[in-house]
Amino acid sequence: MAGLVQNIPLIGAEIPWLRQLREAGIRAFENSGIPTAKTEAWKYTKPRDLNANDYIMDSRGETVTPGHFSLPFDGYRIHFENGIFDPEQTELPQGVEVLPLAEALLLRGETRGYLGRLVDLKRHPFAALNTGYLNEGVFIRVEKNVDLKKPLILINHTDSCGRNLFFNLRHLLILEEGASAEFVEIYHYGGEVKSRYFANIVTEAFLAPKARLQHYKYQAEAFKANHIALTAVDIETAAEYQAFTLQKGANIARNETRVSLRREQARAEVNAAYLMNGWATIDTTTDIEHLAPCTFSDQLVKGVVGGDAKGVFQGKIHIAPHAVKTGGRQLHKALLLSDTAEIDVKPELEIFADDVKCSHGAASGELDEEALFYMRSRGIGGEEARRLLIDAYLEDVIAKVPDPRIRAWFEELK
Amino acid sequence: MTIPLLEIEDLSARVCDKEIIKGFNLTINEGEVHAVMGPNGAGKSTLSYVLCGKPGYEVTGGSVWFKGKNLLAMSPEERAREGIFLCMQYPVEIPGVPVTTFLKHAVNAVRAHQNLPELDTMNFIKLVREEGKKLGLDAEMIKRPVNVGFSGGEKKRLETLQMSVLKPMLSILDEADSGLDIDALKVVADGVNALRDGRRSMLVITHYQRLLNYIVPDYVHVFADGHIVKSGDKSLALELEETGYAGFIKEK
Repeated sequence: MAGLVQNIPLIGAEIPWLRQLREAGIRAFENSGIPTAKTEAWKYTKPRDLNANDYIMDSRGETVTPGHFSLPFDGYRIHFENGIFDPEQTELPQGVEVLPLAEALLLRGETRGYLGRLVDLKRHPFAALNTGYLNEGVFIRVEKNVDLKKPLILINHTDSCGRNLFFNLRHLLILEEGASAEFVEIYHYGGEVKSRYFANIVTEAFLAPKARLQHYKYQAEAFKANHIALTAVDIETAAEYQAFTLQKGANIARNETRVSLRREQARAEVNAAYLMNGWATIDTTTDIEHLAPCTFSDQLVKGVVGGDAKGVFQGKIHIAPHAVKTGGRQLHKALLLSDTAEIDVKPELEIFADDVKCSHGAASGELDEEALFYMRSRGIGGEEARRLLIDAYLEDVIAKVPDPRIRAWFEELK
Repeated sequence: MTIPLLEIEDLSARVCDKEIIKGFNLTINEGEVHAVMGPNGAGKSTLSYVLCGKPGYEVTGGSVWFKGKNLLAMSPEERAREGIFLCMQYPVEIPGVPVTTFLKHAVNAVRAHQNLPELDTMNFIKLVREEGKKLGLDAEMIKRPVNVGFSGGEKKRLETLQMSVLKPMLSILDEADSGLDIDALKVVADGVNALRDGRRSMLVITHYQRLLNYIVPDYVHVFADGHIVKSGDKSLALELEETGYAGFIKEK
């Protein structure tokens, strides 16, 4: 038992580039340490719990009860238990490769060219830590012009048997030219509800010209758990990235998305919703870089915050000097259900080009008392009326999910 | 002797520390239609909100019995489930909640209270269609979010539709005619009159006599300064139209 840096066996320790990459990750993490209130990028989200020194990183050999997650739609399932790949036969169609990352590190030389390319170790301490333990996760490659009709569904189930697990997951997605796929990430738990485990996740996605990725995520971790995730996406000419994340769990949750719109006509839509109570902090951080002319981004993030919980939104749009005729939009809205609920919003626009269309907005409000009374005066119970109003509040952001099967699923989950 | 449907005894109530209702008495029996008429600021809307339990309206004295039960001890939703319906002067907009969803929740909440099985979507839609047709309503209306972008007339039509579907024992109409053209007024009146079955009752709160040509009351009360100053039959409404409220207010 120890802190976040421990010696554990990792695959491919003898491969020089891999060893160097991991070492650089650990070094960067040790230099920056766990962010404090003085760290600008972590001003509102304080991952203090992570200073604990009772983390268990090597949970192999533990008996865990596998968790089942039922879904109302079909897809290719990839299972992880406590952050460890759980082999299961999945029939994959021609033109798509899915491997545990550990295997891909040994068998697919090209991983070297991709891993870590989109992650600035100095700026992202937890992604640096994740790089130090680069081992588990999934490697996905969709070949040129392959259109995957069914979604790839990654499910991580945590059952920490009452102890404080710490695991890192690293996902690498490569969509070749004209490829099209849907990737669904689900993080849920079983067993001990009060477990303070820490899931540290980094996803890197590369979209070649004209590729299209729909990326969905559902975060429903245990209520004392920590979930910190960085998704970094690189988007080439006329490729399109569409994301929707629903966060409902964890004590400290941060979902950070970095998008690089690298070539003309690259597009990104980064939408999210969060619902929380208790003492949780749920953080949605985005950083969208427009690096080429005629690139477009759109963000809608909506939160519902009750109890003593805190919702954080930090949204940055950066427009490079030559990135003219670009458009970037950002809107955060939150519904506060109690007097002690808190919202912290930090929008940032860095515009170095002329002839661009950019906007950002933030709004917060409370449930409409008049609407509540109107519903109650028709016989609808107070709680039910609140539920209906909250559902209505999140309706427009969920409506942006392009796949109707997945949209219907999120409608049920919210 | 049967219990009155609604019995208001010496009711006093205030809003924002201002006494609005002062010693109000009224008894409504099954099947009766009562009109309460009064000038602006008499407290007519306050009376309707107090009866429906709107938060912020504080009862400072007196009692209200509905079917022999203590109405003031009930939450707004319990009052509605017991059979009180307020047709509001200014119905509220609820963005994102379609009329069907809203009304289905309401119908099933009332049905659950009456130990009736829940209506499934198909039967619910059928019920709403039938009632809507009787009132000559546009079927598209029920797909839209509640009252959002509705004209004044459409809002009152939707109030009437809700009343027809929920079939309350006591309908309270708060200035149901305000801002309505004659066609919309007839829709509202038809809806109310269709519920007049000798058992259900109405409390029609209004400013003008006009509405009472369409919903003919059994009793008319003049409401001024927080209480009833005079009661009579429907001819009292006509008298008011002639003389105005000033004379009645002086009488007290």
